[in-house]
Amino acid sequence: MMKKTFSVLSLATVFLSAATCVLAAPSVEEIINKANNAAYYAGKDGKALVDMTITDSQGRTRNREFVILRRDDKDGGNQEFYVFFRKPSDVRKTVFLVHKYTDKDDDRWMYLPDLDLVKRIAASDKRTSFMGSHFFYEDVSGRGINEDKHELMEDGDKFYVVKNIPKDPVSVEFSSYRVWIDKKTFLPMKAEYANKADKPYRVVEALAVEDIQGHPTVTKSKVQDFTSGGETVSEFSNITYDLGLDESVFSERYLRKPPKEVYR
Amino acid sequence: MKIGSRLIQFSICHPKFVTTLMVLITLALGSLIVKVHVDTDPENMLPEDEAVRVYHNLVKKEFSLYDVVVLGVVNEKDPDGVFNPTTLGHVQELSEFAKTLQDPNNPEKRVVASEMIAPGDVDTIEQAGPGQVRFQWLMAKAPASREEALQIRDSAMGNPLLNGTLVSEDGKAIAIYIPITTKDFAHQVRNELLKKISNFRGDDQFFITGLPVAEDTFGKEMFVQMAISAPLAMVAIFLLMLLFFRKLSLIISPMIVAMVSVIATMGLLIGTGNTLHIMSSMIPIFLMPIAVVDSIHILSEFFDKYQTIRDRRRTIEHVLDQLFMPMLYTSLTSAAGFASLALTPIPPVQAFGIFVAFGIMLAWLVTIFFTPAYVMLLKEESLANFGVVVQKTGPAKKSWLAAFLARLARFTYQQAKLIIFITVATLLVSLYGIDKIQINDNPVKWFTKNHPIRVADKVLNSHFGGTYEAYLVLEAKEEALSPARTLALLKEKLAALPEAQSRPSLLSQAVQIIDESSKTAADSDQLLNEVENNWLIRQDASADEDFESWSEFLDTLAAVKNSGQIFKNPEMLRYVARLQEDMNRSQVVGKSNSVTDVVKKVHQELFAGNADYYRVPDSVNAVAQCLISFQNSHKPDFLWHFVTPDYTKANIWVQLKNGDNQGMEKVVAEVEKFMSANPPPFAVEHKWAGLTYLNVVWQDKMVTGMLEAFSSSFVVVLVMMVILFRSLLWGLLAMVPLSVTIALIYGIIGFIGKDYDMPVAVLSSLTLGLAIDFAIHFLERTRMVYRKTHSWSAAIKDMFEEPARAISKNVIVIAVGFTPLLAAPLVPYKTVGVFLASIMAASGLATMIILPALITLLQKFLFKNEQRQTI
Repeated sequence: MMKKTFSVLSLATVFLSAATCVLAAPSVEEIINKANNAAYYAGKDGKALVDMTITDSQGRTRNREFVILRRDDKDGGNQEFYVFFRKPSDVRKTVFLVHKYTDKDDDRWMYLPDLDLVKRIAASDKRTSFMGSHFFYEDVSGRGINEDKHELMEDGDKFYVVKNIPKDPVSVEFSSYRVWIDKKTFLPMKAEYANKADKPYRVVEALAVEDIQGHPTVTKSKVQDFTSGGETVSEFSNITYDLGLDESVFSERYLRKPPKEVYR
Repeated sequence: MKIGSRLIQFSICHPKFVTTLMVLITLALGSLIVKVHVDTDPENMLPEDEAVRVYHNLVKKEFSLYDVVVLGVVNEKDPDGVFNPTTLGHVQELSEFAKTLQDPNNPEKRVVASEMIAPGDVDTIEQAGPGQVRFQWLMAKAPASREEALQIRDSAMGNPLLNGTLVSEDGKAIAIYIPITTKDFAHQVRNELLKKISNFRGDDQFFITGLPVAEDTFGKEMFVQMAISAPLAMVAIFLLMLLFFRKLSLIISPMIVAMVSVIATMGLLIGTGNTLHIMSSMIPIFLMPIAVVDSIHILSEFFDKYQTIRDRRRTIEHVLDQLFMPMLYTSLTSAAGFASLALTPIPPVQAFGIFVAFGIMLAWLVTIFFTPAYVMLLKEESLANFGVVVQKTGPAKKSWLAAFLARLARFTYQQAKLIIFITVATLLVSLYGIDKIQINDNPVKWFTKNHPIRVADKVLNSHFGGTYEAYLVLEAKEEALSPARTLALLKEKLAALPEAQSRPSLLSQAVQIIDESSKTAADSDQLLNEVENNWLIRQDASADEDFESWSEFLDTLAAVKNSGQIFKNPEMLRYVARLQEDMNRSQVVGKSNSVTDVVKKVHQELFAGNADYYRVPDSVNAVAQCLISFQNSHKPDFLWHFVTPDYTKANIWVQLKNGDNQGMEKVVAEVEKFMSANPPPFAVEHKWAGLTYLNVVWQDKMVTGMLEAFSSSFVVVLVMMVILFRSLLWGLLAMVPLSVTIALIYGIIGFIGKDYDMPVAVLSSLTLGLAIDFAIHFLERTRMVYRKTHSWSAAIKDMFEEPARAISKNVIVIAVGFTPLLAAPLVPYKTVGVFLASIMAASGLATMIILPALITLLQKFLFKNEQRQTI
C-alpha cells in the first residue's frame, strides 16, 4: 500500500515537472525582453500626461505635471522621449529631450525657457534624480537590459521574479535588484533595489494597470526611498498610443517651439 | 545644659546605634547611584520646552539638519596636499566606514549615511565638453592617478558650496561632516574613527572635532575626573588634617562626614531620577569642603580643650555647646546660598543648587549626631596625648600658626583704620575689575590646550570656514492681500503680458471672468481659485491657437498666487547674498552657505562655467529653472537644507571659526545691525538656531539667573544674620567678609581676562556659603568671649587663639586640599580648584583682618547691648 502510494506520487511528480518544463519555456532573457517591451515600447509611439507627487519624510509634497511623448525606432531598439513641463507654472515650458540608444550613452537636452537656454546634459550617469523626484532618469526611460546579468529566482503563480546584477557595479548605487514581472502582461510590477549591504532601500511599484488600445499600461506607479523616507507617486492620464508622431518632433529645433501634441 | 550638649545625649549614649543607622541609610541611598544616567548635553541647560530649543529642533527637522562630527584630514607634506590618491583613498575608506557606524545596543544611535558630506557623497555640476553640463559625484571612487586626484581638487575648489566647507582653500585639508542621530553618539563615533585611523600609514593627519564631540567627550572624561579628582582631594584633605591634629582616629570622622554626605546626596540625586549633568558631577567637589568645615571646627576645638577637660564626653559636650549655634547658622546660610540656585531658569543648575543645599544640611546632621558618637566609640586611652603638643610647648613656644595669629591680632587692633582704608581701596579696584568681566563660554575650551579635541579644533578652523554651526532662518511674514489688491495686481500683470497685448479679445474675456469672480469671493485665495477654475474651463473649450495664451494667463495667475514663495525671488536672493557678505566680514564667520549660492553656481554652470554668470538671474522663473536643474542631480534634497519646498523659509548655514559665545553674539549683533539698516525687500522674520547659538541663550539665562539667585540669597543670608545676632549692625558685619571676597574674586577674574563661564558663575554661591561660615564663627565667638572679658582689646587676644586657629586650619585644609583639581585635563575642574583656594584664602583673611579692624572701630556701637546685658 505504502509502496503504491509512493509510486503514484512520484509518477505525478515526474509528470508535473515535465509539464512545468513545457510551460516555463521562456528563458530569463526572453522574460526580460518581453518585460522591457511591455514596459517601454507599447505602440509605435505614445503620449501621456503625468502628474507627479513628491512626498518627503516630513510629509511635505511637491507637484510636477508634464506631458511625455515617445517614439520608438523599433521594439527594443532606440527611442526618443520629449518631456514638456506644465507645472509648477514657473518652470512651464521647460523641456527634456532624450535620445535613447541601446548601444551607447543617451543624448539628453534640457531647455530652460526663462534663461532661453538649450543645454546638453552629459548622460554618463542615468541614476540621477528626475526633476527632484525619487524616480531616476533610468526609471523613466528604462535601464538597458544588457547592463545587468539576469537570473530567474522564482517562477510563481503570478510573477516571474528576476534578480539583476549590474555588470559594472561601480557605476550604480545598488548591488542588485529584483523585479516581479506579471506573467500575463509581462509588465514589471515591482522592482526592489538592494544596497551594497544587500538590504532593500528602494522600491518601485506599479499601483494600477489599465488596458489602453490593447496595451496593458501602468497608470499609477510609486517609488519609495527607504533611506530618505520619501516617496513619489506618478499618475498617468490622457494616454494615447500610435499617434503617428513625426521623428522631427524629437529634434533640438522643437525644444523652443513645442509641438502641439504637448498642449492638449 | 545647653542645646548643643542636650541634643547629642542620644549619640553619646547610643553611639553604635547612631553609627549603624547612618551607615545603613548611606548604603541604601548610595546603592541608587548604580542607576546613574549621564547627560552631558549642554542643550539640557535649557528646559525642553524652552522656545529657542523648540525652534532649534523645528529648524533641524524642517531643513533636515543633524548634529555633526567633523573629521578633518590634513596633508601638509604632499605637494598636492590631500589631493593625492593615497589620502583620497583614506578619505573614501573613512567615509564609507563612518556610514556603517551604529550603536550595537541602540539602533537609534547611528550615523545618518544619506546626509553625509564627504567627497564620495556630494554631487557637483560642471562642464562636460562644449555646451554640456554634467551632474556627477565629486568622487565616485578613490582616484587611481595624480590626474584624477587633481581633477577632484579642481572640481571641489570650483564649487563655492564645497570650497571652504568640504575642502580647504589651500588644498591641504578635507573635512568630512558626519551627521549623527543623537549627540551622545559622538564620542563613540570618535573612538571608532580613531581605531580605524590607527591602521593608516603615511603623512596624513586626522582631526576630529565639532561641538557634539566636544560635549560628549567632555561628559565621558568628566566621569573619569570625578573618579580621580574627588578622591584625590579627599586624600589631600586627610593628609593636611593629619598634619594639624596628629590623631588618625579622630580625623577619620570628618572624612566619614564628607563621604556620607556625598554618597547620600548623589544617591538621592540619581534615585530621584535626575541625570548626572556636568553641573551635578561637581556636587561632590562642592560638598566636600563644606562638609568637612564643621567637623574641623569641632576637632579644632576638641583638640584645644581636651587636655584641660581630660574627658571625652565632657569635652565634646563643651565643644558642641560652643559651636552648635554657629554651625547651625553656617549650614543654614550655606544651604540657602545654594538653594537660591533653584531660582535660576536652568534645570541642571537648579538640581545642583538644591542637592548641594541638601548635602550641606545632611553634613550638618551627621556632624552633630555622628561626631559625638564617633568620639564616644574611641577609647579614652587612645586620646591620651591628643592636643598635647600645644599644651606642652606652652604659651612661650607657640606653633608658627599661633605666633602668626597673635601678631595678626595686634596688627588688626592697632592698624584698624589702615586696614579699612586698604579694604575700601581694594573694593574700588575690584569693582573696576568686575566691570571688565567678559561673559563667555565655549565647550571646546573646557579641554586644556593640548587636548586632541582642542588641537583638532584649532587646526581645522585654520583650514576651513569654521567647524561651529549656526543657522539663520529667514521666514516670510504672511501678509494676506486684500481681494481688491489681489485683483488689481492680477489685472496689472495680465495687461503687461505680450500675449495679452496681441490678443485683446482674449484679455477682455479673462478680465471679465476676474470681475465676475470678485463679486462672490470672500478672500484673495478664494478669488484666485475661482478665477483659475473658470479660466481652465475656458482653456479646455478654446481653439488650438488660443490654448497657449490661456496657459500664459494661468501662469500669471500662478505667479500672483505664489508671490509668498519669496525665496525664488531674485531680489530676496540677492538680499540674502548681501547679508552673507556682511556676516562674512565679521572675523568670526568663516563662511556661510545659502540657497542663493546654489542658484548662482547652477546659473554659472548652465552658462558654460563663465564666471560672469555667477549671479542670481533676473526673474522668478529663471531662478525656478536653475533650481529645477539642480534637482536633476544625485542629491536633489541637498537643496532642502537651505530652503523649504514651499520657498517661504530659507536657512543660511553659518560656519563660525570658534565656538566662543562672544563670537556668536557678535554675529547676531551684526545681523541685527545689517537688517535694520537694510530692510529686506519682503517682510521676513529672522531667527537663529544651531548649537552655537543655543549656548549663547543658556549662558545669558545663566548669567542673569545667577545674579538674581545671588542677590536673593544675599538678602536671605543677611536676614538670617540679623536674626542670629539679633542686631542689624552685627548682621551687616557678618556680610562684610563675603562681600569683600566676592568683589575681590570677580574683580580678579575681570582683570586677568578669565571668561565668566558656567563654573565661575556657580562659584559665587560657594563663596557665599564658605565666607559666611568664617564670619559667623568669628562673630559668634567674639560675642561669647566679650561676655567674659567685657573688653574688646582683651577679647581680641582670645579670638586669635582657638577660634582663629580653627578658621586658619579650615582655610589651609580646603585651599590646599583642592589643589589636585589643578591636575585635571578639564578646564572647569582647574577653575574650581584655583577659585576654591582663592575663595578660602580671601574669605579667611577677610574674616580675620577686616572683621577685627571693623569691630575695633565700631566697638562702641557693637557692644552697646552686650554691655547693658552684662552690667
